[in-house]
Amino acid sequence: MTAQTYSLSPKEKSFVSWHLLVAMVALALGTLFGPLQAFEHAGLNLYPFLQPLIKSYYQGLTLHGVLNALVWTTFFITGFLTFNVIYGLKRPLRYPTLNQVGFWLMIVGLVMAAIPILLNKASVLYTFYPPMKAHWAYYVGLTLVVVGSWVEGYGFYFTYAAWRKENPGERTPFIAFASVLTMVLWQIATLGVAVEMLTMLIPWSLGLIETVDPQLARTYFWFTGHPLVYFWLLPAYISWYAMLPKQVGGKMFSDSLARLAFWLFLLLSVPLGFHHQYVDPGVPAGWKFVHAVLTFSVFFPSLLTAFTVIASLEYGARKNGGTGLFRWVLALPWRDPSVAAQLLAGLLFFFGGIGGLANAAYNVNLELHNTTFVPGHFHLTVATGVTLTFMGVSYWLVPYLTGKKLWKPDLARWQAWLWFIGMIIFSNAMHVLGILGAPRRTPLGDAPYVPAEWNSRLLQVGIGGGILFISAILYFAVMIGTAFSKVKVEKEVEVPVAEALQPVSQTPAWLDRWAPWVYAALALIVIAYGPQLYEQIRNISLTSPGFRVW
Amino acid sequence: MSTTSLHVHPYEKRWIIFSIVLLIVFTAAVAIAAFALGIQVPSPEQRVDPRTVAVDPNSPWSNPGLREIAPGRYEAYILAQTWQFQPREIRVPVGSRVTFYVTSKDVQHTFKIQDTNINVQVVPGQVSKLTVTFKKPGTYPFICSEYCGVGHAGMFGQIIVTP
Amino acid sequence: MKNQEEFQPKGTVAILVVFVITLIVLWGTIYLTLLQRGGTV
Repeated sequence: MTAQTYSLSPKEKSFVSWHLLVAMVALALGTLFGPLQAFEHAGLNLYPFLQPLIKSYYQGLTLHGVLNALVWTTFFITGFLTFNVIYGLKRPLRYPTLNQVGFWLMIVGLVMAAIPILLNKASVLYTFYPPMKAHWAYYVGLTLVVVGSWVEGYGFYFTYAAWRKENPGERTPFIAFASVLTMVLWQIATLGVAVEMLTMLIPWSLGLIETVDPQLARTYFWFTGHPLVYFWLLPAYISWYAMLPKQVGGKMFSDSLARLAFWLFLLLSVPLGFHHQYVDPGVPAGWKFVHAVLTFSVFFPSLLTAFTVIASLEYGARKNGGTGLFRWVLALPWRDPSVAAQLLAGLLFFFGGIGGLANAAYNVNLELHNTTFVPGHFHLTVATGVTLTFMGVSYWLVPYLTGKKLWKPDLARWQAWLWFIGMIIFSNAMHVLGILGAPRRTPLGDAPYVPAEWNSRLLQVGIGGGILFISAILYFAVMIGTAFSKVKVEKEVEVPVAEALQPVSQTPAWLDRWAPWVYAALALIVIAYGPQLYEQIRNISLTSPGFRVW
Repeated sequence: MSTTSLHVHPYEKRWIIFSIVLLIVFTAAVAIAAFALGIQVPSPEQRVDPRTVAVDPNSPWSNPGLREIAPGRYEAYILAQTWQFQPREIRVPVGSRVTFYVTSKDVQHTFKIQDTNINVQVVPGQVSKLTVTFKKPGTYPFICSEYCGVGHAGMFGQIIVTP
Repeated sequence: MKNQEEFQPKGTVAILVVFVITLIVLWGTIYLTLLQRGGTV
């Protein structure tokens, strides 16, 4: 294996590092507002003390959602995927300038979107449902972030095409394959929000058109909104499938099934957006049911992932002397903060999956729509399954990129456990409150209809949020400590890429062929979305002027 | 080994089959609740112009409130706006069957009646329709659960079901 | 443990059994609450 000899050039390392730096700064700012929301629920409203800097709960909530769910994820992911493409293919980017242009577009977009948010001119949350109307710079900025990520994606495609030419007949190395696929999924998925931005929100916010159709806007938005979560999730899956097994001394249990799972995500993650619109008045129940069935089917590749990943871990644990039906789990290297963070992230992700299956279940959504169950759910998925995994990845990736030893690994391990504990308390309370009927996106400490029986759970939301905040502080302490540390690593950090149990050459060729899968994915989108999109566009009613209600 | 066949461990093969069966069972449970027990999600009802829906004298939402259409059978026209529902209070006797028609004259809202399965997105230009039978007397708060501006947390009303 | 056939991931199956039981219990609770709150048409 040449795996240990290949390394990124200093320039490439710095390029990836810039992505991570922007991501972490966004997370640091965005995370500040998390506990403010949680404390407010528990009856301690600190927002008045932030005047006049932050004008309302909702300006804070917008910052929290945009910075954490959109900026932290997108920048970390494009950085991590760039690393995977270069390292996986063991060749430099074909056109590094193209990728740099993409990155700078993302930065320009980020700054453009950040200014109106900070000036309280875009407190519309990260879903920006019209006819709430934000400043045009918010929409243009977010669009540029997406366009920038597309450009970086084109850079991946050119690089991958060059590799294919240089290595005819070889199977694409898994981490590069999965990273390119994640980018393809993202580019198909973001078409919805691109159309929403270009045909409605941008011309409307610039005053070129007077009115929009809020129902059609929701349909466009959720075309993107659900596969967006797979764009967040798949990079974490890349680490769980291909990196974590190496970190625990194991192997990838099945390279073929890992690839199959990724293909199924490409195939199934877009044509099911109506499951976010189950209670929308403008979409027929029949189409909602079709999307419900498709939503259940995209749960399948995640169940497949659960088996393959756990089996990979078990293989490693048993090689390290693990025994018993359950006791082998203790033989995993829990002392490694990168491993601990990812195992705990995966464990809570199980519960995220269960909640997701409830949200997704058609009429069950009547019970849960827009309740605190929903943020309870996605704090287990994107804010733990994904975010805590990315934190775990950064515990080896940042030392690799900077050449500095991880500062205080003990603190890093504490960070992971505190995130885990804080999230259990926070998220459990949010789920229970949601079933009781508590609305999301609402300063519940201030709401007149809150019954006394919710109070103990609201207090738990605050306690969980506080613990999460401590964990976040530890994370940034470890990252800053590492960046400014004078202790260099003795030799370059080994990139954990697991071998497969079966040689990759035995992976069937049809799992490494793009055209049939991509065409099938597009065809499925046309079937699942075509008739309704046609109907809703044909019957478009541009009757909503904009409102500024914050 | 042929390069076209997919190699799957027997345990994982069984897990795959089990997963598929599990998802079919869940789908069936949902379908039963929807099609046999009448727990359904809304479908398109009618279009309105949010700019005139509250003032046009031909629009039922220019005079929102409860109408009795038959003994024990009601229609409730609810107008959602920042940051209140009209009407704010509805009284019906226990056992009443009420069909709600909800629309918005400004931004999006959500109309959710606690302790029932009434929970619909209210989108300007559209009418959200669902029906519920109030089987137990008591007070049922209805709340807005979509962010609709700074006054969102105070947007609620109540249904009083009298014995 | 040279290849897949010799390695029987029994622990994986055990964990997934626990997961599926949890899934059915939690999802079932939410589903029963839905039924208890009644119809919408």
